[in-house]
Amino acid sequence: MAASKRLQRELEEILNSDAKNAQNVQVDDTNILNWQWLIVPENPPYDKGAFRIDILFPVEYPFKPPKITFKTKIYHPNIDEKGQVCLPIITSENWKPATKTHQVIQSLTDLVNNPQPEHPLRADLAEEYVKDRKKFLKNADEFTRKHGEKRPIY
Amino acid sequence: MLVFVRFNSGPGVAVEVDAGSSVGELKALVAQQQGLPAAGPLRLLFAGRELQDGDTLQASDLPEQSTVHVVLPRPHAGLRLQEKGAGQRLTRLDLHADRSGLAVALETSPASPSPAEDGEEGGGAECQTNGYRTFYVFCKSVCGAVRPGKLRVRCGACRQSTLTLSRGPSCWDDVLLPGRIHGVCQSEGCPGTVAEFYLKCALHPTAEEDVSVALPLFITNHREVACIACTDVLCPVLVFQCADRHVICLECFRGYCLTRLNDRQFIHHPLIGYSLPCAAGCPDSLIKELHHFRVLGNEQYMRYHGYGAEECLLQMGGVLCPRAGCGAGLIPQAPSTQRVECEKINGLGCGLVFCRDCKEEYHEGECHMAASCSGDAATQCFVVDEGALQRSRWELASRDTIRETTKPCPQCGVPVEKNGGCMHMVCPRKQCSSEWCWICSVPWNRDCMANHWFG
Repeated sequence: MAASKRLQRELEEILNSDAKNAQNVQVDDTNILNWQWLIVPENPPYDKGAFRIDILFPVEYPFKPPKITFKTKIYHPNIDEKGQVCLPIITSENWKPATKTHQVIQSLTDLVNNPQPEHPLRADLAEEYVKDRKKFLKNADEFTRKHGEKRPIY
Repeated sequence: MLVFVRFNSGPGVAVEVDAGSSVGELKALVAQQQGLPAAGPLRLLFAGRELQDGDTLQASDLPEQSTVHVVLPRPHAGLRLQEKGAGQRLTRLDLHADRSGLAVALETSPASPSPAEDGEEGGGAECQTNGYRTFYVFCKSVCGAVRPGKLRVRCGACRQSTLTLSRGPSCWDDVLLPGRIHGVCQSEGCPGTVAEFYLKCALHPTAEEDVSVALPLFITNHREVACIACTDVLCPVLVFQCADRHVICLECFRGYCLTRLNDRQFIHHPLIGYSLPCAAGCPDSLIKELHHFRVLGNEQYMRYHGYGAEECLLQMGGVLCPRAGCGAGLIPQAPSTQRVECEKINGLGCGLVFCRDCKEEYHEGECHMAASCSGDAATQCFVVDEGALQRSRWELASRDTIRETTKPCPQCGVPVEKNGGCMHMVCPRKQCSSEWCWICSVPWNRDCMANHWFG
């Protein structure tokens, strides 16, 4: 099966790379199509915690994009209460088979670090982010401390 | 080895020779068989050139059960064509489209052009670039698969393989487009000067008429480029005609085609036909030789054909008969009326008369999308056999299911199923591709994005 072959290779590449986030990936032993990843943002207010995401690869991978959901709650204009996120790189119109999972993760981490209030999933948070940044940062910081996972020590 | 010899374009005579024998020895054998006093004047032609007496058959890339032509020199064609070196041999030519169509003479060791093993797995072991590993064809008759091919040439006039080339082809266009390469036909009395190229499967002996279609995008992966999808270095590979010349392996290309076919995402181009672009989505990269989609296998290729024909019909302004199991393509004769009849002609067509807009049974006046036709069906309680009753129920159930699980695209009206994801819909019909909101059934907009992007 092309999907598992490709994912095996991607996984090896990630585990053999020097990138410090290599230890953040977990793969279901019985199903290589299901990965979990720990997003560790650098920018405040998300730099006090880490966020677990679920990556589901379709059997048609890499000809169809993976699906991503947040398992850890996050206070973010582009991620809703159910953990759904609209990431342009993995929409079916934009998806390219050559895109690697680590690039998807990079793109997602960038979005977490830099909210895009002009394309909001949660209009209330986007408004707060634009109109009262101080309040947004305070709320997000508290939320991250309360719900976020422990950041790994590198 | 067995070689078929055709003397002056007579029928092929099987001759058993040693693979190490020279061309001269083969000629002597033929002279003996034909009762000729001497073999000296005979000329032995194979794959567009004259073989030299000193060469061995093996060094001339003559595969098992090849057909060679032996002719007596023509009185007026006094010139003996010069041996032009390996670069001009059809058997040692590499037509890589990615070198602006330049042919490359391969460095070959003439030994062991064994066409024995089978390249179906696309395994890396198949990647040596000698002999006839450089062309790929779809072998329809015997293998039913993509295979290494061998390039051959014949005279455009008498269609015998007795043409000697004045120069070898240097790009795929030279091979595929007629009339670009010339030569001299050595058949007696034939004035032919135009070369006609054709390809055959190289994995087995082939009958004369058993030619295969060329797949110019498949090449030997001699640069060891990794596949864009699985990232393995495999051979052969398909090289897309995009600016970056993206590379995809045979197996992934099949996966790519099948995924796109299942989602009906092939693109109908008015000149090229029903095709796919580079898997990386590069612009202007539609595959022009549609036989590459033969990799789908017979069954799926037939499906591809069907979809392609339907897409073509729809673009011509035609409609498909909505009756389940019929689906005949119809081009309405009177564009002004909504009434379309699926005429029964030559056993096609089912006789249904339907409305062009709503695809329901034909009616006067406005369409009522959700109108239940069950009432009408009940009044027509004559000549309904058991089978038709069953089928009709099935249709109705399908129709109900479609009605319950889909919403029409606000722009083109095609029923769209939402199988996950957000409310931002993109019409699955490639020609439409309009973006709309699943909840409001209007074009996708900022309000929908803000209020109910994910429901």
